Amino acid sequence: MKCYYCALEGKDSEAVAICIVCGMGLCMDHIIRKDIDVWEGGYPLPSKRVKTPMPRILCPECYNALYAK
Amino acid sequence: MTISLGKRCVAEAVGMFILVFFGTGAAIVTLMLAAGTTPATPFNIGIGALGGLGDWLAIGLAFGIAIAGSIYALGRISGCHINPAVTIALYATRRLPGKDVVPYIAAQLVGAAAASLLLAWVIGPDAVTIGGLGATAPFAGIGYLQAIVIEAIGTFLLMLVIMGVAVDERATPGFAGLMVGLAVAGIITTTGNLTGASLNPARTFGPYLGDWLLAGQSLWEFFPIYIIGPIVGAVLAAFLYDYLTSE
Repeated sequence: MKCYYCALEGKDSEAVAICIVCGMGLCMDHIIRKDIDVWEGGYPLPSKRVKTPMPRILCPECYNALYAK
Repeated sequence: MTISLGKRCVAEAVGMFILVFFGTGAAIVTLMLAAGTTPATPFNIGIGALGGLGDWLAIGLAFGIAIAGSIYALGRISGCHINPAVTIALYATRRLPGKDVVPYIAAQLVGAAAASLLLAWVIGPDAVTIGGLGATAPFAGIGYLQAIVIEAIGTFLLMLVIMGVAVDERATPGFAGLMVGLAVAGIITTTGNLTGASLNPARTFGPYLGDWLLAGQSLWEFFPIYIIGPIVGAVLAAFLYDYLTSE
């Protein structure tokens, strides 16, 4: 798979990941890694945050759609 | 990593405040509505004078819905025990660290006391003189030991439900708050006119403190009923559930 953004710029880069939301192929220059805290448990015991967060790869457009203010 | 103990204690206090404000608030308002009626027997103190057992169902639902809301809102933060008996039962079965027990119970007592005192202020003197701030005491014909047993059985069912719908990892997610609230409503409907159906030492502490401070009325002689009964019932239920589900 090739990087979508690089293809738009006329470049030919191999994708190293895909956006979890839209499925777009992304090279290292265009990925945005947005880790998510994972919480376990709940009532009747307090939730615990797992030490290792869950990795999540987004493309710039999906990142902006989800997190831009 | 869990949320800090301080924040968890605030959550416990807020949850307890909600339980006592809405739950005992319903009992106070029912007594105020029934004021002036002449109950047929000493067994009827006013709750039940207008709607029979429906009065207790309504009060039970007020408690149950407030508890369900608190569990869904605060359960992830502190566990939302909002009941010292539940806290002690979870500690006894090694699910809660010992260092959390005293701060949790202190927070629950503070939340309950704040709710009772605020109820007295927002409703006015009738909340104390007529409603008794929703304090619990054994009803006519119910002895001290009988009251302890009734409170223990009620809390036994409550804790058994908590174990089955929330603690057990095989439980269907999302139903805990609803089922715990409904269980409380059902228990109150049946045992409300026997002991007041406290099921919770902190729930009784708030009104007792308010009545004592604001009206000089001391019900503390009955407090051991609402400490011993709920704690014994909750601990027994937790151990029984662990025994029944062990391989």
